[in-house]
Amino acid sequence: MRKSIKKALAMLAASALTLTMLAGCGSTASAPAASSPASTPASAPAEAGQDEPAAPSGDPVKIGVLVADVSGEEALGFRSYYENYIASNYNVQLLYTDQLEDAAGERAAIEKFAAQGAQAIISFSSSDRAMQIETCADNELYYAVASGMLDDAQYEQYKSNPWFVGQVGPSMDTEFEAGKAMGEYFKQKGATKIAMYGAFIPNPMHVYRAAGVLVGLGATYGGASDKDAIVGQIFGDQGIDVSKVTADGVELVAYFQGFGDTTTDELNAAIQAAPDAFLSVGMATTFFTQQLNTAGIEFSDIDSFTSGNAEAMANGKLVYLAGKYSSSVGPIFAAVLDAVNGNAIRDAEGNALSVSQSYLVATDSATFDKYFTADKGDSPIFSKDVLDTVIGADVSYDDFVALVEADRS
Amino acid sequence: MNNVLKKAAGALAIPVIVAVVLNVLCALGGRAMLASKTSFDNFVVYTAIVMITTMALSINLNSGRFDFSLGAMAVLSAVIGAKLSYVLLAGGPGSATLMLVLTVLAGAVLGLCSGGLYVLLRIPPIITSLGVTLIYEGITYTITGGRYMMTEVQNADMAAFAGNWYWGLLIIVAVLAGIIVLFDHTRFGVDYRALKEGQRVSVNTGIREVPNALGCYAVCGALMGIVGFLNAARNTNINGGSLSFGSIGIMFTAFLPMFIGGYISRWCNEKIGYLLAALCMSMLNSTFAVYANQVNASMQSIINAVLLVLFLIYLNNEYRIASFFKGPRAQRKAAQG
Repeated sequence: MRKSIKKALAMLAASALTLTMLAGCGSTASAPAASSPASTPASAPAEAGQDEPAAPSGDPVKIGVLVADVSGEEALGFRSYYENYIASNYNVQLLYTDQLEDAAGERAAIEKFAAQGAQAIISFSSSDRAMQIETCADNELYYAVASGMLDDAQYEQYKSNPWFVGQVGPSMDTEFEAGKAMGEYFKQKGATKIAMYGAFIPNPMHVYRAAGVLVGLGATYGGASDKDAIVGQIFGDQGIDVSKVTADGVELVAYFQGFGDTTTDELNAAIQAAPDAFLSVGMATTFFTQQLNTAGIEFSDIDSFTSGNAEAMANGKLVYLAGKYSSSVGPIFAAVLDAVNGNAIRDAEGNALSVSQSYLVATDSATFDKYFTADKGDSPIFSKDVLDTVIGADVSYDDFVALVEADRS
Repeated sequence: MNNVLKKAAGALAIPVIVAVVLNVLCALGGRAMLASKTSFDNFVVYTAIVMITTMALSINLNSGRFDFSLGAMAVLSAVIGAKLSYVLLAGGPGSATLMLVLTVLAGAVLGLCSGGLYVLLRIPPIITSLGVTLIYEGITYTITGGRYMMTEVQNADMAAFAGNWYWGLLIIVAVLAGIIVLFDHTRFGVDYRALKEGQRVSVNTGIREVPNALGCYAVCGALMGIVGFLNAARNTNINGGSLSFGSIGIMFTAFLPMFIGGYISRWCNEKIGYLLAALCMSMLNSTFAVYANQVNASMQSIINAVLLVLFLIYLNNEYRIASFFKGPRAQRKAAQG
């Protein structure tokens, strides 16, 4: 018996070793594909020899897309725009990751895309953006942040990296202001018992939004009332400690964050606390709309203008939405395409793009529908005609900023 | 009559003590355990989930078959039921009922497959079930793309189901009656109990072990189908991204109530014991909701684990503890065996 177990173990070990060796061979074989983009960004234009947008024929430009959220309304809206509109109007192939949960997953995905011959990475995943840039540079891939931003220190560190194309999305200050406006709205509305969902704190974007909500509600956190001090404490606590929240006339009766096996129980606990309003700094419309509608609790979120959210605002209890257009991720795609074509857009000092996008707020169906219908299916706000104005050899930094910042509401 | 009262008192002792202690704890916090209709709706649905999972776990475990794949069965059957019902009704009226029926059928088939593999391979069920878990999780991941399935389970019909306690109660009554009839009043149940008590002897008397085992797996699968449906209604999503035994947590919620239910069954039917144990767990869950700001999710898991360990310590030292309170003579008797 023991002999047969030994034999089985030996077979198992031998199989594992063989598989490991084969896997290793696979990596080596596919490594040259990673060097398919130009060896340096400076030489890319000459080698690519393209001054115009990618032609609709020939080999498509391969772009890897890193995603941490594969289910949210906002994320699905972005994906639909890329896969259904961008992919059919430009000669590009967009390669999506599965749900990325950590930095190791992000690194593995970038290396996999490099092996598949991708020329650029657009990132919606924020576990470790510094590592993402460095991994892209190591693999000679252009890199861009969509619908978000690096923190200031990181941007300063990487802005001159030639592989870093840039970032277009709400800045951390914009995130804070979006949260603050939401908090103020409910305070003015007379809500006194508040339940709050912190989404995926310590994700910086959610930390800043949550800090904004507290300030908007007129609350202090650990005795602090200014943005930086509150943000610092939330990062330190890795969440919001309800016992540290103090506010005149407003009580934070429930708080939870994240999403997993215990979330339903936490939501039920929040509902059981009978709040006047449920304030979310992200993803509540995706996860909790049905339960909050059933419980009859008014709620708010920072998300995007999608059909699901339109329904929740028209017939449910969603009363406040700070959102983005699904096609708001169009300009960063254009910037990436420019870079791949050898026409990278840089500012006057030669640094990577950094343009902040602000939120639009809807508190009623009419306003929501105005934003929603303006950005649908075949006629998105950032349509091909609009994007083509910043794709090409003669596009300046100012042209690009003007396109992103133009009021399209 | 005296005997009936004694049994009723024995069976209800733990739930009553738990209810009193937890209600006092909630009152100390200035809140009620069940403060609103929504709380009660959740309470009933959670009781149903725990009771049915406990039954599904105990059916095979009592026969020496440890089944790790229960959670994966619940998730995959719910995914199949949700997908098919959405294709047929697109979330319209009747979606919840159709999904429940399809999920139960899918669960029964999945259970049968799991049992079939066990019977076919004739290797320890704990090993088979680990493999089946990985296979079912993989199939779920392939169908859902690793995403949370939401559109298919978020509709007015499902909301009405989760938002009305009487649906949960109806399921509890139906399952309880069905399982009691099946395992206590049919030939299948008699064979099951005979095999449980003495497999070799039972087989030698002509009881067919394989069909009975397959039947048990199918019943477990169907029960986990109901759990999958209830979880989908309660969570308003199905997590399609559980890989590498990520679905096992669904099964582990049933361990403490299984031991408590087993203990209560000294005074009543075992299945009634599971219901009473599930009530205790549901009261604990509602108390956690009251103290959610002070006791976070990880603390709650620790408390559950500590309670399980304490209860197992009690069960294993029950006679010693009893004799300790009865005096030295009884202690000597207990020590002698």
